[in-house]
Amino acid sequence: MEDRVELLRTRAAALLREQVVTGILGFLPGTRGGVAQVGLVTRAEDAEGLVLDASCTQNIAKYLLKVVRAEGKVGVVARGCEARSIVVLLQERQFERARVYILGIGCEGVKKNGVLSASCVNCAYPNPVIYDELVGEAAVKESPAEIIAEDERFYALAPDERWRVLEEDVSRCIRCYACREVCPSCYCPVCFVDATMPQLVGRTHHLSDNMVFHIMRALHMAGRCVECGACERACPMGIDLMRFNRRVAKSVRERFGAIAGVAPEESPPLAVFDPADMQEFIR
Amino acid sequence: MRRAIITREELRRILEERARTGSLYAPVAGRAGYEWKRVSAVAEIADCSGEPHTRVPAKRFLFPASEEIFRFRGAEAVESETPGRTVVFGVRPCDGRALAFLMRFFVERAPADPYVARRRENTLFVGIACNEPADSCFCLGVGGGPHSTAGLDALLVPLDERRIYVTVCTERGAELFSGFPEPAPADEEERRALERRAEEKISFRVDTQKLKEILDRAFEHPVWERLAFPCVNCGACTLLCPTCHCFEVTDEKVRGATSRHRVWDSCQFLLYSQHASGHNPRAHPAARFRNRVMDKFKYTVEQVGEVSCVGCGRCIRVCPAGIDIRSTIEVIRAEVGGA
Repeated sequence: MEDRVELLRTRAAALLREQVVTGILGFLPGTRGGVAQVGLVTRAEDAEGLVLDASCTQNIAKYLLKVVRAEGKVGVVARGCEARSIVVLLQERQFERARVYILGIGCEGVKKNGVLSASCVNCAYPNPVIYDELVGEAAVKESPAEIIAEDERFYALAPDERWRVLEEDVSRCIRCYACREVCPSCYCPVCFVDATMPQLVGRTHHLSDNMVFHIMRALHMAGRCVECGACERACPMGIDLMRFNRRVAKSVRERFGAIAGVAPEESPPLAVFDPADMQEFIR
Repeated sequence: MRRAIITREELRRILEERARTGSLYAPVAGRAGYEWKRVSAVAEIADCSGEPHTRVPAKRFLFPASEEIFRFRGAEAVESETPGRTVVFGVRPCDGRALAFLMRFFVERAPADPYVARRRENTLFVGIACNEPADSCFCLGVGGGPHSTAGLDALLVPLDERRIYVTVCTERGAELFSGFPEPAPADEEERRALERRAEEKISFRVDTQKLKEILDRAFEHPVWERLAFPCVNCGACTLLCPTCHCFEVTDEKVRGATSRHRVWDSCQFLLYSQHASGHNPRAHPAARFRNRVMDKFKYTVEQVGEVSCVGCGRCIRVCPAGIDIRSTIEVIRAEVGGA
């Protein structure tokens, strides 16, 4: 990983010097050894400060919509899940492909409090599926099971038992919306929870309203969640948010044979109707 | 203030008696650090060694995250019940100082908030001093300290496996801790030594008066754009801040009656300052980021005469974007203050 970071810095500096890009979105050291911060490096000499390690716990694609412009080109350091997020944003026409220069790099996972993030343990795409250049060698990782053991156990529970587990989890939600704000796929100008005329979700922390928020957000992620785990790392209350997202991703796989953000040339799975789509629910 | 030495066994009896006659809340191990839970036995209480404090601050006992304040049907309104006699055990001095701030903000100014006032009347806050501050702690740097008694009814300092040094801060605190022997001079020295050792671990200092003067002229400074870039305006910092006190009010229909709730709000949310006209004075993310810093170190000084950051470090620990308010202050001092 060390050599790749050096290579990344060299390449980033070169791209800035050659004015291929006006800036590069990358990670900078966190203060006092904490979580790394995302920054936009605009001067070649500042590329030396770029880092990429287990403290880079965010999905950098979140910041793209902040910096991409109608002209010019912005560079972005993208690992596996982040490149997939870029694919989702491109599929959803959030910016033109030519507006970003992707410095792809393989990933060895990120850690929270010294422990490898669950989403990294279960990651099936450590290497970027889309890039303008690849920095260093590909990351090598054992493929995870399609359904992880923890989910197998959960799906085996009776429906009311499953509901109780989810209730206990979301009852702790304080509606800080950190999950939503760190997610690159959440970019609606007005989120459904903030709609007022009409109001769609109650604003209190009633269990029913918390449940609606989390289930609806997961449904809005259908075919769009790249399972980076940024949401569950951001949650200050330790809620297992990825459990919802993985279950929805499972449905999308089974019904549409689609996986979020791996096929740039395809349309988002829920944006297309195909007469061959499963419709056993219509009786 | 009276002082006493009690044993852990005596403390256990006092707390468990209160658990039986009212409610006892204490930190227990949760999915994200320590959470406040109602307990009936001292054995259920976490040792709190992994993190400096509970994830959610003690403010939730005076100012819950989501609370029904009244219900009405036609013109008939019924106020919701306030919890009965409660003892909250294991409050850190930073949270204690924050409780004192919240009382000044909500109750000691007219008109007093009756819901906060009522909750304070029914609650006893028993603090535990910090002998091992974390690297994110900086209470001492903002006028507090690891053995501060502000806002608490009593403060406990564990001296060893058996004995606890108690400072009784209020008459209500005396209800729990009276009839115990006073500390000997050696006990005083032991406590003071623990306090000094804890203080030595906190290096960050803020000259809050100077910072306020800098902030007084910092509003239009371009430094905010740069400082705010990594911020995703999620609200975690504000909701978990022990002194943050903003709320929204929402009405809901419940079985034919209308229920009015007060819910935590955050200046980091896009719609926080949205006007009914459609205008949003803080539409820009950097404006919302700036607001938090301004509120903690300037606006509350103007409103109630004190800085509201108590140096608990929760915002540093929970920020998903790696923002550290201490670094933010250092940058402001350097770039705006020329320090």
